[in-house]
Amino acid sequence: MSPFEICQWIQDSSIGTQIRESTYVFPIVEGLHVLGLAISVGTIAIVDLRLIGATMKKERVTDVIEQLQPLTLGGFALMFISGILLFWSEAARLYPSYSYRIKFIFIALLGINAMLFHSTIYQSVDKWNSDAVTPFRARMAGWIGILFWAVVIFCGRWTAYNLK
Amino acid sequence: MNLYPLFKWFDTTPISVAIRNSTYIFPVVEVFHLFGLTLLLGTVMVMCLRMLGLGMRRQTVTEVNTQLMPWSVGAALLTIVTGVLLFLSEALKCYGNEAFPWKMWFLFGGIVLYLLTASRMKNADSRLNPAAMKVIAILMMVLWFGVAVAGRAIAFV
Repeated sequence: MSPFEICQWIQDSSIGTQIRESTYVFPIVEGLHVLGLAISVGTIAIVDLRLIGATMKKERVTDVIEQLQPLTLGGFALMFISGILLFWSEAARLYPSYSYRIKFIFIALLGINAMLFHSTIYQSVDKWNSDAVTPFRARMAGWIGILFWAVVIFCGRWTAYNLK
Repeated sequence: MNLYPLFKWFDTTPISVAIRNSTYIFPVVEVFHLFGLTLLLGTVMVMCLRMLGLGMRRQTVTEVNTQLMPWSVGAALLTIVTGVLLFLSEALKCYGNEAFPWKMWFLFGGIVLYLLTASRMKNADSRLNPAAMKVIAILMMVLWFGVAVAGRAIAFV
């Protein structure tokens, strides 16, 4: 089976069909996807804005990151689970979509960005924890986070409109 | 009062027609609507959780609110400006839509609550007692998340 045929099979499964054709399940799942986005990316944005020196400058970087992390992870879990259900119901339509594929490339790049940040400059956070202006690499991680999440939101919305 | 002529007029402004006639303007405006919504709800939720004592407890309520509120207000303005553009392009669809008035009432409530509490929020710790803070936080969450949920429902009802 080709990837497309697998996607067609997923979409045609009874769960996929039920989600797609239900009056309430699809809108509720999609509503949860947007709320998950606001909770996770909203809190990620606060962290990134701290890193680039745009908000919470008086607070320590570790205070902002550590205290927002549960919200970011919880929101991400909500977004991830609802995203799987949305994919389940429309896999064959989503698979060929360029914007959908680009979205996942950027999510992967965001994962790499976060991993690099945590494994390099964040290791020495004690030295710059209270600085309003963080080191260059931390600011870069913040800017990349903001810009790439914007691309993800753009691509996600583009996919819904079937605009390639 | 019959609002139909008003909505009909909104539906036919040059801006409404221009957005409707383009394939891309509406989605692009909606992307910016989502940028605003994400930042608005994210910052509102963090402030509310702090007021409820459920998050960011190493900072005072005042420290959290004074630093995040400008971003909430900016994000709200972006969401409202883009929202007006989206509305103009489909005003008649909104007129007959059951979710739309809900969204407008939640939005109205959210703005009124903001105007009533904004000055005290700047010095929340000294000017609000903990009980009042919790009531404001719950109302704020219900109203702003209500705007988002009712807004999403416009596409489905």
